[in-house]
Amino acid sequence: MKTVMEGSHAVAEAVKLARVQVISAYPITPQTHIVERLSEYCADGSLDAKFLRVESEHSAMAALIGASSTGVRTFTATSSQGLALMHELLHWASGARLPIVMAEVNRAMAPGWNIWTDQTDSLSQRDTGWIQIYCEDGQEALDRTLQAFRLAESVNLPAMVILDAFFLSHTYEPVDIPDQAKVDEFLPPYEPKFLLDPGNPCAFNQLAPPDVYMEMRFSIQTAMQSAIGVLEEIQNDFSEIFERSYGSIEPVECDDADIILVTSGTVTSTCKEVIEKLRSAGEKVGLLKISLFRPFPGEAVRKVLSRTRKVAVVDRNCSFGSGGIFAQEIRSALCNVPDHPLVYGYVAGLGGRDITPELLEDIYWQTKNTDFPELDSFWMGIREVKDGIICSGS
Amino acid sequence: MELSVPDREFMYSGHVACPGCGAAIAMRFVLKALGEKIIMVIPACCWSIIAGPYPMSTLRVPVLHTALETGGSVASGIKAAIEVRGDHETTVVTWAGDGGTFDIGFQALSGAVERNEDFIYICYDNEAYMNTGIQRSSSTPYGAWTTTTPGQDWKKMRKKNIVEALVAHRIRYAATANIAFPEDLINKVKKAKNMKGSRFIHIFSTCPTGWRVPSEMSIKIARMAVQTNIFPLYEVENGVEYTINYRPKGYLVKEYFKLQGRFSHLTEEDLDQIQEMVEEDWKLLLRKAGVFSGS
Amino acid sequence: MKNSNRSNMCVPLLIPRSYKTSEENKTGSWRFLRPRYLEKTAPCSSVCPVGQDIPRIQMLAVQGSFKEAWELLLSENPFPGTCGRVCFHPCESACNRLEFDEAVAIRMIERFLADTASRYELQPRLNKLAEKGKKVAIIGSGPGGLSAAYFLALLGYSCDVFESSNKPGGMLRWAIPFYRLPLKVLEEEIARIESLGVRIFCNHHVEFEKFKHLRSNYDAIFVSCGYQKGRRLNIPGEESPGVEDGLTFLRELKRDPSSPSLHGSVAVIGGGNTAIDVARSVLRCGAKPVIVYRRRKEDMRAFGEEIKMALDEGVRIEELKSPLKIEKKESGVILTLQKMKVAGIDESGRAAIEPDNTDPEIVSYDRVFVAIGTEPSEPWYVCDSCSGKDIKLYNSVMRFDGQFPVIFGGDLTTEAKTVTNAIASGKEAAMALDVLFRIGKDFVLPKISRCRVGNGLSVSMEIYLNGERKNRVSHVVSYAEINTDYFNLIPRTPQPRLLREERINSFSEIDLKISGSVAMKEAGRCFNCGICNHCDNCYLFCPEIAVKRQDSEEGGLRAINYDYCKGCGLCVVECPRNAMVLEEESA
Repeated sequence: MKTVMEGSHAVAEAVKLARVQVISAYPITPQTHIVERLSEYCADGSLDAKFLRVESEHSAMAALIGASSTGVRTFTATSSQGLALMHELLHWASGARLPIVMAEVNRAMAPGWNIWTDQTDSLSQRDTGWIQIYCEDGQEALDRTLQAFRLAESVNLPAMVILDAFFLSHTYEPVDIPDQAKVDEFLPPYEPKFLLDPGNPCAFNQLAPPDVYMEMRFSIQTAMQSAIGVLEEIQNDFSEIFERSYGSIEPVECDDADIILVTSGTVTSTCKEVIEKLRSAGEKVGLLKISLFRPFPGEAVRKVLSRTRKVAVVDRNCSFGSGGIFAQEIRSALCNVPDHPLVYGYVAGLGGRDITPELLEDIYWQTKNTDFPELDSFWMGIREVKDGIICSGS
Repeated sequence: MELSVPDREFMYSGHVACPGCGAAIAMRFVLKALGEKIIMVIPACCWSIIAGPYPMSTLRVPVLHTALETGGSVASGIKAAIEVRGDHETTVVTWAGDGGTFDIGFQALSGAVERNEDFIYICYDNEAYMNTGIQRSSSTPYGAWTTTTPGQDWKKMRKKNIVEALVAHRIRYAATANIAFPEDLINKVKKAKNMKGSRFIHIFSTCPTGWRVPSEMSIKIARMAVQTNIFPLYEVENGVEYTINYRPKGYLVKEYFKLQGRFSHLTEEDLDQIQEMVEEDWKLLLRKAGVFSGS
Repeated sequence: MKNSNRSNMCVPLLIPRSYKTSEENKTGSWRFLRPRYLEKTAPCSSVCPVGQDIPRIQMLAVQGSFKEAWELLLSENPFPGTCGRVCFHPCESACNRLEFDEAVAIRMIERFLADTASRYELQPRLNKLAEKGKKVAIIGSGPGGLSAAYFLALLGYSCDVFESSNKPGGMLRWAIPFYRLPLKVLEEEIARIESLGVRIFCNHHVEFEKFKHLRSNYDAIFVSCGYQKGRRLNIPGEESPGVEDGLTFLRELKRDPSSPSLHGSVAVIGGGNTAIDVARSVLRCGAKPVIVYRRRKEDMRAFGEEIKMALDEGVRIEELKSPLKIEKKESGVILTLQKMKVAGIDESGRAAIEPDNTDPEIVSYDRVFVAIGTEPSEPWYVCDSCSGKDIKLYNSVMRFDGQFPVIFGGDLTTEAKTVTNAIASGKEAAMALDVLFRIGKDFVLPKISRCRVGNGLSVSMEIYLNGERKNRVSHVVSYAEINTDYFNLIPRTPQPRLLREERINSFSEIDLKISGSVAMKEAGRCFNCGICNHCDNCYLFCPEIAVKRQDSEEGGLRAINYDYCKGCGLCVVECPRNAMVLEEESA
């Protein structure tokens, strides 16, 4: 059914269609619309799930760890501070191999308080063993949520579906809501591979000494790596059933490009327009959209980027003391490729600052006109600070 | 002598608790009262270790080990899940130490109780972070030595009254229990099992290692805590009905303190002051229970 | 693929999840102290002259196993009904419960068990061994002689008892008044002894010549003639009419209860049980008794209870008065008494006395009874000096005439001259003879010593016969070793008695019977010092679940699973009655 709705609600639709059984959430702007909509669905019975109104995000994740261990499909949503508060348990969820799905609304980390979009929060959790998929628009937010359940349950790893704050979560866009029947075909009921059962008692997650821990961790790594292939299969199934195709990455006009911009999230849409404009001006430029960030689709990325001369990565995040995180991952993926392209890193749009088409064009020209990237990441649009006051002007 | 303690064991020998461990005794009694149709949540505490390393388990019930502060929240999730699966019989039980209950776990516990989650939360209280090496918690009693309250820095804060804190939530059922009074403990757990809503049981569990007492004195000391009014046995229903279950012999608190190395630094003045504090608390409890007496 | 949410790819899943129990972890290796069950001796048993297994008797009584408890009594003493009335109950003075609240009323329970058996005419299962073909002659059918006969018969020997008076029983029959020991009780217990095949020949005084002749027909002789002769005052006028021996008076009273015609005031000189018995009997015959004693009331050798009851009944006691002479009067006598005063304490703890400076008192009495003690009536009964060849046991002396054994027992040899001590000596003599006959003289003392109960002067037949009790150690459990946390203050059951008015009118038994529930309640006060009474504390408080309850019959204890026992010692401390011990683990 085609409709116009905000990204948050698209996610809520997906959760309802996925027949999630236990939801546990704590409010934080800008995730609130997701959980409010789900509360309504639970209250009116259109979603037959238990909704736990817990008293913190940490408890939200803890409750889902409990619920998922008992063999039910689970969901939560959060953002920035809340995600950071969950951090300990993010490690726990993946270590316990629980297929929890979470909608993560990318929001800046405080202080100062900033509720607008920034990827540092989710990327700070990149080591926790969660699958991470970044969404460009409302349709993708819905579709990826459905895919996330199936992926998580296949490889027994938790997955987060990531949306930009406000630019995606609160933006109304056309969304095609699939039929329940088709969704049931795509996503059957959850069959847990293990669960807490008085009829078959055992202890989970107990002491694992050095002689066994590493094998357990290796099992996580192996599962993560296999998720790339599993997602491929799932995406194929999805396109067969719903006639929409997705890839772990999406190259746009990359085949003959001398310079390829790399983006993720909503800025991809803006960048697609910039690519069009530059191409029509004769520039040999392409765009690589990264959807799947964890596991990092290194092979696919290498396939697209190896032949180009320069890569310009747009990071709406920063790992202080190093640089943009997507840039690091790209560099890492390319470093063993002989004659690999130069990777230029750009940090832009932190804390919800707009990434305009002009800014993206500046990134292109700066990349083209410099022979070598001086810094790991160049911060775009930074104003001067004099005597502790930010000077106005560009 | 006939004991009304059920026969069946739901715990195996071979666990790694210290000799004389009060927590091991407490678990044994509690499981006898609960039976096997339970799911047990164990946040980080001594029992995370006692229960045995992978691939062993010393308990005959399903156990989910979880992070330290999640006793109340994980149990909430499990309960929601079993209900969704149509199981309305299995009891969800959290088994946590005092650290994971009074301090870092208090938020989750308070949240769960406020929501009246249908589970039993049992705190076995050895009055410090014993598993990590005897550090002070908010359940460490006034006067105690711990590794983080050593020497003259002995704990000069009162023990947090967790039962009263939960009573303020109008919790369905809250009770204290003690390993030296097994029948009372088992009765309370059985009673809790047959209720719905949030139920909390606070079990006094001697720690010979952390309290610096010989292992064979665990039960005697636990009993003495009750007899000196330091740890009264009582229960509260719905946050309003108080019942005192046992009229103690009213020994002087110094009889309790002198048995334990962790109190060996206290002077006579300290002990007198503590005696006053204990009497004050006992009188307060009597008032709440509607018992007005001179003694 | 469409209908599955599982990939074809095999996804590895190795999580921390248990697949076995902790039982393969044998934590017994941690141990450096090892607990075990070790039953010990209770203080009551240790001081009981016959070494009764008192804690076990109480335990059986609490369980309602009255017959079994009674049989246990009979295994050490043929006279439970008698002793349940007249024993001086040193057990109650040694009772550990005394320090907690009040001593257990052990004697009352013994009487209850014997009386219950009697009421229901129960037949005891006695451990009677096969005939051994030897014969023993016993001189005197008092508690000593009859006890010897009983135990010898059980051990398989045939016994002939020679009694000089016309009925058996000795002091039990002739000295102790009916209001303390009814005849029926005594006769039933004597009949039980006779039913074992013991022959009692009354009216058979054995004088010295006859004694020597017995040698030819018997393999051994037990001499327990007792102290029948009343001691003399050795003051002028002692022979006057109206002055009689107290013991003789009691004997005459028994022979013919209507015989004495007493009236007016009667003096009873002496401070022992006989004096009290005489005085209280005089009272019941209608006269006014006055006890005249040369020391203080608290120095009187009579049992405290008896003195108390005597006073309660109206007997007057004149203390610190010593008779100087007696003169005959027209009707009655005149007693000249010297007032005495305390001049220190002698080595037995009693007052040392000397005459006061006042003039002697002259008092008239209708009759005077002398009860200042007794002594053996014939010189050959005396067994004071023990030569090197004699074997001195705890309560008796074994003497040899050539190879022929003669054992002296009862009041002749016991330290304390009581019924129970006499019974103990008879048991001891039986054991000694059995050792002598079966093994040899050199083994008598060692074997008897091994049967000693605790650190007292008693021996146990059960130990002698290799019963369970032999596994108990002789360490006597003290009050400090009892974990009193498990006991509440419960007052001792008071002995129901006839009212004063009812008592003094007749010789009916004063102490009344108690019901089964009262007996069980009182027996329940017993700590059961040193033995396991299956309270299950050890099982309950073991953190390792290493104490298994065993369903064994009598005497079965628990089993400790040493594979897991960490030696924490909780079981030992929480055993309320010190039936366990914690020892160093052997390397």
